[in-house]
Amino acid sequence: MKVSRAWLQNYFVEPLPEMEVIADALTFHSCEIEEVTPEMLDVKVLPDRAAYALCHRGIALEIAAACNLTLRYDPLVQELPAFPATDLLSVSVDDSYVLRHMGAIIRGVKVEDSPTWLTDMLQAVGQRSINNIVDATNSVMLNIGQPLHAFDLGKITKEGGITKIAIRAATEGEQATVLTGETYTLSSDMFVVADATSGQALDIAGLKGGLTSGVTAETTDLFVSVGTYDATRIRKMSQKLKLWTDASLRYQNKLSPELVPYGMRDIVKLITDVAGGELVGVVDVYPSVQSIESVSVSCAQIEARLGAAFTEEEIEGTFNRLKFSFSKDGDAYTVTPPFERRDILIPEDLIEEVGRLVGYDRVAPVALPHVDDAPDQAVFRGAEALKDFLTERGFTEISTQSFAASGDIQLANPLDKGKPWLRSSLVANMEEALTRAAHVAPRVFGPTPDVRLFELGTVFTATGETTALTLGRKTTQGKATPGPLAQVVDDLEESFSIVPVGQNEECSEFHLSEEQLHAFGVSYTPRTASQGSFIPFSPYPFALRDVAVWVPTGTKESEMTMCIVGAAGNYLVRIDLFDTFEKDNRISFAFRLVFEAEDKTLADTDLEPAMEAVAKALTDAGFEVR
Amino acid sequence: MPPGRLHPITVATREIAEIFGRMGFAIEQGPELEDEWHNFTALNVPADHPARDMQDTFWTTEATARAPRTHTTSVSIRCLEKMAKEGCDTYRAIAPAKVFRNEATDMTHEAQFYQLDGFAVGPVGTVTLAHLKGMFDQFYREYFGQETQVRFRPSFFPFTEPSVEVDMWFEAPGKEGRWLEMCGAGMLHPNVIKNAGLDPEKVAGYAFGGGLERLIMVKHGVPDVRLFHSGDTRFVHGFDQTIQ
Repeated sequence: MKVSRAWLQNYFVEPLPEMEVIADALTFHSCEIEEVTPEMLDVKVLPDRAAYALCHRGIALEIAAACNLTLRYDPLVQELPAFPATDLLSVSVDDSYVLRHMGAIIRGVKVEDSPTWLTDMLQAVGQRSINNIVDATNSVMLNIGQPLHAFDLGKITKEGGITKIAIRAATEGEQATVLTGETYTLSSDMFVVADATSGQALDIAGLKGGLTSGVTAETTDLFVSVGTYDATRIRKMSQKLKLWTDASLRYQNKLSPELVPYGMRDIVKLITDVAGGELVGVVDVYPSVQSIESVSVSCAQIEARLGAAFTEEEIEGTFNRLKFSFSKDGDAYTVTPPFERRDILIPEDLIEEVGRLVGYDRVAPVALPHVDDAPDQAVFRGAEALKDFLTERGFTEISTQSFAASGDIQLANPLDKGKPWLRSSLVANMEEALTRAAHVAPRVFGPTPDVRLFELGTVFTATGETTALTLGRKTTQGKATPGPLAQVVDDLEESFSIVPVGQNEECSEFHLSEEQLHAFGVSYTPRTASQGSFIPFSPYPFALRDVAVWVPTGTKESEMTMCIVGAAGNYLVRIDLFDTFEKDNRISFAFRLVFEAEDKTLADTDLEPAMEAVAKALTDAGFEVR
Repeated sequence: MPPGRLHPITVATREIAEIFGRMGFAIEQGPELEDEWHNFTALNVPADHPARDMQDTFWTTEATARAPRTHTTSVSIRCLEKMAKEGCDTYRAIAPAKVFRNEATDMTHEAQFYQLDGFAVGPVGTVTLAHLKGMFDQFYREYFGQETQVRFRPSFFPFTEPSVEVDMWFEAPGKEGRWLEMCGAGMLHPNVIKNAGLDPEKVAGYAFGGGLERLIMVKHGVPDVRLFHSGDTRFVHGFDQTIQ
């Protein structure tokens, strides 16, 4: 919800503090702020407060409470005018959908561009100006949160001079064309505002105005509709039609039907101010008056939940700042929330108001009471036992995505259309990871021809969900030999009594029940592991160069590596000794150097100078480069 | 054969398990593919309620659609249900495990990630918001360092009342300290306690949940959340690791 400083300022006598100060106060006492500019705040109003805070008046109240400022006026506590009645309008409603509806006829308006002050107000919160009538309805909604709509009265059929409106269920397949030109085909669980005389649907009730009855430059008479509709039905309609509007977003959060006459009061005033005309009369249909239940909370309850003793001054100060009327009996308060506060239903809701407005800094940290019995972490530890067993045998743990190109259980709304299934095995991901690992093996694992990986993760099969363990082994040199993997599979069977459910040349997969994991972990303590800061790797390919030297026996490997590292330059990221042999009292050492750049693929022209420098450094140190 | 490596999430989870273990927390498991009751309805997120929009959800095509869980709070409600069956009123557990969100991915968002979720309940008045703060205070000090601090900001989650966002003051080596948003938390909503079959007049407690990768990203300087579940060995080997 975007709110503008100028608009908010209307609510206060004193100049408002800087927007940053307001943003901070709201952040710590109300809700998150998504964006702050010197003239605008974008407030993240969450569903619980949406019924009162998706408007300038609501945010102004939050600011007043959070900053302890006094409101100049509150449009929702000012007295309502007595609206004149009229026989020229009749409205019938389906009360399973319509909680309240007020209709008005205004005659003799002049549709034109809005005055600058109105255009400016809307533009400050990112809204486009349409004409004075539409802008007036938007402005009332953005001010007090009540959606409303103006129809061209001239486009609605009359019977004996009377405009008859029905807010009724749509017939199956009935069509409605909205203001922006799209035609929606409705179903019988949706609702329309209809011209009862012609039977024509005028718009989708509560969602969006209709095209044919829209206000145009020729419009002189208006039917103004201000209503409250069932939140759940509105939400279902929006979902089904994929039509979310400023109105539906407000309605789905249970706006109070008590807000309707305030909307009517404000829109009549604003339209007659900016477009002239005269109110003929108002028809109010309010099938079931909203009951407002009081809620009680005691100081003891507040302390039991927040873990800090709040003073009467703090509690009463909170209620006063929020304009809650309350009475006190012993240590208990009975609060009657204002009608628009649909979020105050249980004592815990009042506890939250006290906590947030006094501020959660008021709650000092307290340690949980000590428990004697060691908590049960056995299933977790069982999985860790397997991981330790495998890392000891040279396996590296990986984690992969749970979505797959095939499987047993499909997603209705996958993110990646190529992977709409939940994985039923870890093998496909393992094979892919092995291929990639083999590709980067000299960079990651060094000169070993043996890449060993494992993953422990959930798989989703037709018979249910289970934990799977998959081992993968790939050799980067020579022919694949199943020996080393078979050995580890045997070791797992011997130590954990588990056998694979599936195997191929490179992978073995096991299924593990919670009972098995529990048994593995019940008396196992995972090894203590620690890790340092992440050292980023380059998205660009690495390059390999080998260098071999003859050295006298007794020469330490470190003498050569220091020499090489010192000369090879910044692109060198890894050095491995991969071969040694002795001949005629000399030893040959062969090193593999891995080069990588953060920002490019290395070319020979980058590597040749580095290797020349290495050769020179080794020669200078008295070694013979082969 | 040189020793292999543990995934960074494993290393972090072991440390987290130990810290929470000392505070009396068990580790609980639950299904990754969850029914609507445990992922939403029991957590006070009824069907057709705007709070459902707070988490973009994947659904299966099964006759009764299930969801890859959007949070491991589903594990907490399952534990509470078990407590109700067993007539128990005091328990603490964490669930560090995988969750899913149907949202576009970027450096800080993944469609699948791990969440460190947990709860503590006891007779009314024995587990409060102050204990929640105390728990985070201890956890962050032990995991990130003694200079960390905790602060709460008001928020909304359907399953807690009051609800808070948890910020941590963190001084990265060589950098100025700053407040980081770490997770969401609050006192379990009475409806959740009731839905589990417990009596909210007698049992109360807190719940919390936040990204596990986030903890590792902050502590070890990982720039992109998408690295974690990429199956890329360069990532796993991108840390100096000691296993004792």
